[in-house]
Amino acid sequence: MKHSYLTAIILLGVIVIIGVGSQLLGVRLYDRIATNLMISLVLVIGLQTFMGNSGLLSFAHIGFMGLGAYTSAVLTIPVQMKGMALPDLYAFLKVVEVSPLLSMIAGGIVAAAVAALVAYPLMRLSDAAAVITSFALLVVLYTVMNNWSALTNGPRTLFGLPKTTDLLTAAIVAAFAVVIALLFKESRTGKLLRASREDEVAAAALGANIPHLRWRAFILAACIAGIGGALWGHFITSFAPKAFYLKETFLIITMLVIGGANTVTGAVAGTVLVTIAYEGLRGTESALNATAVGAGQLIGLTEIVLALAMIVVMIVKPGGIFPNREIGHILVRMRSRKET
Amino acid sequence: MTFAIQFSIDVLSLGGAYALMALGLVIIYGILRLVNFAYGELIMVAGYSMYLTSGSGMPWIAMAVVAVAMAIVFGILTDYVAFRPVRAKSVTAVLITSFAFSNLLQNAALLFISPRPRNVPLPDIFSQTVNVAGVITPVRNLVTIAASVVLLAAVAFLMRKTTLGIAMRAAATNFTMARMLGVPANLIISSAFALSGFLAGVVGILWIGRIGTVVPGIGLEPLLVAFIATVIGGMRSLPGAVVGGFLLAFIDTTLNYTLSQDLLKFRDAFTFGLVILILLWRPEGLIKGPASGQRT
Amino acid sequence: MLEARNLSVNYGMIRAVREISFTIAKGELVSLLGANGAGKSTTLKCIAGALKAGGGSIMLDGRDITSASPEQVVRAGLATVPETRDVFPDLTVAENLMLGAYIHRRDRAGNRENLERVHHLFPRLAERGGQAAGTLSGGEQQMLVIARALMSRPAVLLLDEPSLGLAPAIVDRIFEMIETLKRTGLTILLVEQNVNQALAVADRAYVLRLGKIVTSGTADEVRAATDLTEHYLGG
Repeated sequence: MKHSYLTAIILLGVIVIIGVGSQLLGVRLYDRIATNLMISLVLVIGLQTFMGNSGLLSFAHIGFMGLGAYTSAVLTIPVQMKGMALPDLYAFLKVVEVSPLLSMIAGGIVAAAVAALVAYPLMRLSDAAAVITSFALLVVLYTVMNNWSALTNGPRTLFGLPKTTDLLTAAIVAAFAVVIALLFKESRTGKLLRASREDEVAAAALGANIPHLRWRAFILAACIAGIGGALWGHFITSFAPKAFYLKETFLIITMLVIGGANTVTGAVAGTVLVTIAYEGLRGTESALNATAVGAGQLIGLTEIVLALAMIVVMIVKPGGIFPNREIGHILVRMRSRKET
Repeated sequence: MTFAIQFSIDVLSLGGAYALMALGLVIIYGILRLVNFAYGELIMVAGYSMYLTSGSGMPWIAMAVVAVAMAIVFGILTDYVAFRPVRAKSVTAVLITSFAFSNLLQNAALLFISPRPRNVPLPDIFSQTVNVAGVITPVRNLVTIAASVVLLAAVAFLMRKTTLGIAMRAAATNFTMARMLGVPANLIISSAFALSGFLAGVVGILWIGRIGTVVPGIGLEPLLVAFIATVIGGMRSLPGAVVGGFLLAFIDTTLNYTLSQDLLKFRDAFTFGLVILILLWRPEGLIKGPASGQRT
Repeated sequence: MLEARNLSVNYGMIRAVREISFTIAKGELVSLLGANGAGKSTTLKCIAGALKAGGGSIMLDGRDITSASPEQVVRAGLATVPETRDVFPDLTVAENLMLGAYIHRRDRAGNRENLERVHHLFPRLAERGGQAAGTLSGGEQQMLVIARALMSRPAVLLLDEPSLGLAPAIVDRIFEMIETLKRTGLTILLVEQNVNQALAVADRAYVLRLGKIVTSGTADEVRAATDLTEHYLGG
């Protein structure tokens, strides 16, 4: 348990360093990258709470991010703009306008509610079936967001969200996410869930109702994703449903898996690493595009490199950089080994 | 009466395609316990192969054969790139490598060919229509029904009557024991991927025949269909996947006919909702797969 | 015929089998005895190619099969019947047997002859050819896995705990069967917890304890060894 405190302190420290560091450097680009990183942290950590404890991969995570973003949008777009942004919006929503903080929480709640409703049957499925059904869920969430024009403006861009997410806000939410993830990990639900991965029968004997436990973890993950989505929405101020689909899903899975799906430390490490790699690759791609003489646009290069990196990491270190032990645990063990 | 015939043709042709899609996926899952996320890309490969050979002057059937061959090659390639290196590690690792490989293939198509839709040549006969008992329907539908019947029968024959098929079924139940009887593991695995690629290639041509163009993301919908059909059919059951495919086609076609115009765009959401209900009732799927005693 | 020299097998960090050596002459029935966890099944699995050897060697009729894959071991003439009685439950009895003959699948005439011989030895299986193997009783399944192993025309047969979980009357029948097989000239390595039955059919025996061989000799010699109970209860 004590390891967790140390882990929390270190991870929060990382967030602080990134935040302060990018502020000190003063370059606006770094501010944007750092804020994006904080938001990614929220999403990846959210995914980790489900995946790390239940052992199941969920592809639907980004879909819940979208739900949170759109909920927050509908609640915070200024009434004057609503007519333009969401022309078909339902009458009772046209007059609503709440503070972004409240709407972020609302985003989390809506995502959690949908998750609670839809996901319970999924949790009773066998592992592989649950994973591929979660993939189908992503597609369905996307379809709904893409077509429910009244609430989302359909496939078109929705604009008008107040830009209330800055580096500080994002960092604070990320810090909360770290703490919640660690708390969940050490909670009874978290521990029972992990135990059930090792030995189902023994866990059941301890009173673990595995589908129910998974369900709870899934709801928590969806809630965090929803909040992350709202956070992102208020950063970017305009988005479309295709921002919540396969490309982003691939990115957060890459971040989590490379870092280590079983640990919160892994989630943080993976996010930081992949963000740096991604920005670096993107920059290279743009530079190459600018200089290439009639060679055409180099789209997709970043994704190819990341995909290859993922495969290599899975071959060499399938558990990720931090496969089992949180950083606090590792440091404590190193210290005690030095002493003996 | 004409409505019934129209409906039946629609369900049977869509169901046949869906069943083939599901079968290609479940063959890999049944034997190797591995979900192949790159499966949809085999269909994409078949499509782009048709596009790339379309200028060559080959007769259509030759292009189709090449396309299917390419799908088989890429199926086996998936094994070597995404499965073999990580098979021993963990089930999640394999899922992720196949997901990564799927992404890689799509982006390779994006980068090296084009993000824009590309035309796929079709034989004229596909778009011609024919009159079946008062119902006008594209020949393509009948070809699909015929092809799926033939292929499903062929696969069933392979699985039940040939030594290879029996070995594959045995490997699906207990891989180690099959090896201890002298069944060469690698042969079984490669055969499974080759068969999966073959089915993907054929259904790919039929499927793209409906649309006429190919894009990098074209494999997504068939992949989804295969996933859902497999899950409702019972994860490791071959007949289950076929039943799942037809059931899904039935649901989709019924919704197509019954949903009002503005709800039609949400058809996939409704389908999924119904699938959830089915799973609520029977989480293990409709048909039991090979006995294994544990959670697959 | 079959010889192990300083064979070691590891289960991760645990050294389950530590440098054991034994020989089995052609036509002999040798029994490997010992308490649970002594390393008997591990040894068998290693010989069969399912587990990697951590050291030492295994020679089959002069050929080194230490690092052979399971497929190669079967082709070399050594068939294994694991303790888990792994029939393929959804395949019929006939299909199970057909798979046993996989390495000879092109020799249809030879297989048919062999199948008749096997049916003669196991008439019950002949009756139930079309039945799904998962529906057979425990004793019948044990017979099926032995019959299936015989379909590969082995020179050496490894049997892992054939009496496990079976009623005494059935166990008697299984051992009669083993006796019959021995008389056909088959070389057999028998792992068993049922000491009495095992020693009754065996020519020689080795006793394993915590991965090492502690007693060996003819069946009579081993039976007379007074510390046998200690091995099973105290080991």
